[in-house]
Amino acid sequence: MTHKLTQGDHVLKVDTLARVEGEGAMHIVVRDGQVADVELRIFEPPRFFEAFLRGRAWTEPPDITARICGICPVAYQMSSCLAIEDACGVTVPDELRLLRRLLYCGEWIESHALHIFLLHAPDFLGYPGAIEMAADHGPVVQRGLRLKKAGNALMTLVGGRAIHPVNVRVGGFYRLPTIAELRDFRPTLERARDDAVETVRLVSGFEFPDLLQPQEYVALRSPHGYPLEGGSVISSAGRAFEVADFGSHVVEEHVARSNALHARLDGATSYVVGPLARYSLNHDQLGPLAREVAHDAGLGDECRNPFQSIVVRAVELVHATDEALAIIDHWDGAPAASIDVPPRAGIGHGATEAPRGLLYHRYELAEDGTILDATIVPPTSQNQPSIEADLRAFVQERLDLPRDELVRQCEQAIRNYDPCISCATHFLDLTMEEQ
Amino acid sequence: MTRPAIVIGIGNPDRGDDAVGIQVARQVAVERHNVLTLEFDDPSEALDAWEPEDTVIVTDAISSGGAPGDIHVVDVVEQRLPAGNWSSGGTHALGLAAAVELARSLDLLPRRLVVVGVEAGRFSQGAPMSDAVLDAVPAAVDAVLTAIDATKGDP
Repeated sequence: MTHKLTQGDHVLKVDTLARVEGEGAMHIVVRDGQVADVELRIFEPPRFFEAFLRGRAWTEPPDITARICGICPVAYQMSSCLAIEDACGVTVPDELRLLRRLLYCGEWIESHALHIFLLHAPDFLGYPGAIEMAADHGPVVQRGLRLKKAGNALMTLVGGRAIHPVNVRVGGFYRLPTIAELRDFRPTLERARDDAVETVRLVSGFEFPDLLQPQEYVALRSPHGYPLEGGSVISSAGRAFEVADFGSHVVEEHVARSNALHARLDGATSYVVGPLARYSLNHDQLGPLAREVAHDAGLGDECRNPFQSIVVRAVELVHATDEALAIIDHWDGAPAASIDVPPRAGIGHGATEAPRGLLYHRYELAEDGTILDATIVPPTSQNQPSIEADLRAFVQERLDLPRDELVRQCEQAIRNYDPCISCATHFLDLTMEEQ
Repeated sequence: MTRPAIVIGIGNPDRGDDAVGIQVARQVAVERHNVLTLEFDDPSEALDAWEPEDTVIVTDAISSGGAPGDIHVVDVVEQRLPAGNWSSGGTHALGLAAAVELARSLDLLPRRLVVVGVEAGRFSQGAPMSDAVLDAVPAAVDAVLTAIDATKGDP
């Protein structure tokens, strides 16, 4: 028989929240029919990488931080390169910046395809996972795998390999792809773009539970187009500041239940980073094709329903494939694969848009380039307070659901954020307790 | 010309015993030059690595409740991987069992697919491999080589 949360005291435990990258736990307390508390518990080896970076050379963060996450290594490489170059007073030339953007497109394609098709779509189509979905929707899953493969291939072409790319260095790359290699990749990307457009059509037809996020949205804004490999910070409440001022606006606080840090904007405001924030603050920067499919999918200038993040990710897939094609068509080489980045004493900041949202790095260097201090603020730790707030509102409206269904919907709601908890945690166990 | 056997090591080299799949694949590469070895830390990457006619051996850390260092060899074409914690101990977005079963659902399994799993003890970030698992690497390498050799002469 099924039980409802209003039918008596119980503690409900789900062993693992599947289909979330990494590990963690969600605990929900219901008291007298009201949601009393929602906690996202994070069990991160505390800031292991930040400690590990101290004492290392200024050239090492791209390789070291790429290992924080197998799904978004490029994001860590790009933010760390920007921060180190900022500390050293160096800016890479445009032709290398474009290659970084191209590499980043590969990561977005790979990561978004993984999340849309293998992790999130089963929620909407009513399957426990991609395996079961594949039995009935084989061509759909194969489209997802094709897209994922195209993203990986692009990362391999520019980054040397897909997982933990080895071709990225402070100041640029070790080896440049040839123009011929890039042009040869065109057919794969054209097919991926077609697949991405079909993906928007598919996911925009899903049914989306009602939920509107009231939180402030935060994303980068770039003069070079839809934000990827840099920019300055803007928010839906009108805040605007340079990445160098990130630390004075975003305060990370220790929370007793978690050994990951919770980020707050200007000390008080929980906020959201990621596809919805990026889209809502930068939709005017999307390419014409992505804008057209977004319009056809019914997206307005702003999207505040986290369940529709799957549509926004699909629109970003279209943008990433389309922009990658444009870069390949226009890139005509660079004089050198990298520029010199001589060390100097100083502090540098870097932020880029990881698939899951804004990723900030800060490094303090000694005169010889030794890293004295490192700070990394990943997207998921910035979103944690908002995930909790979302869940609080979401569960309150659904307390009369059978608990299995409620847990399923909660898991789906958490997956809206595509939380990359391995950047910050272990398995996600979901427990619900009524007092 | 027959394609070489493919040995895929899965895991994160920076998370304790999760590194064992990578270590075994690297050792196989030293001992057999006619084998293609690959490394992934996301098992779903493996789906792109093989063709239908290939012989593939996947080596990975597993967590099924046994003693650290225990070795499990499963012919995946013949039988399913146990559900549960096979290969979910690291930072994998899709566990090995899920990736294999996804391939089965889509009729993407290679001709021969054998998993050599090494029971892991710890997955702590930044930790080295435990002694028990480190000691099991030679036997796991032998299991991989045996699986490759068992394929020779198959139609």
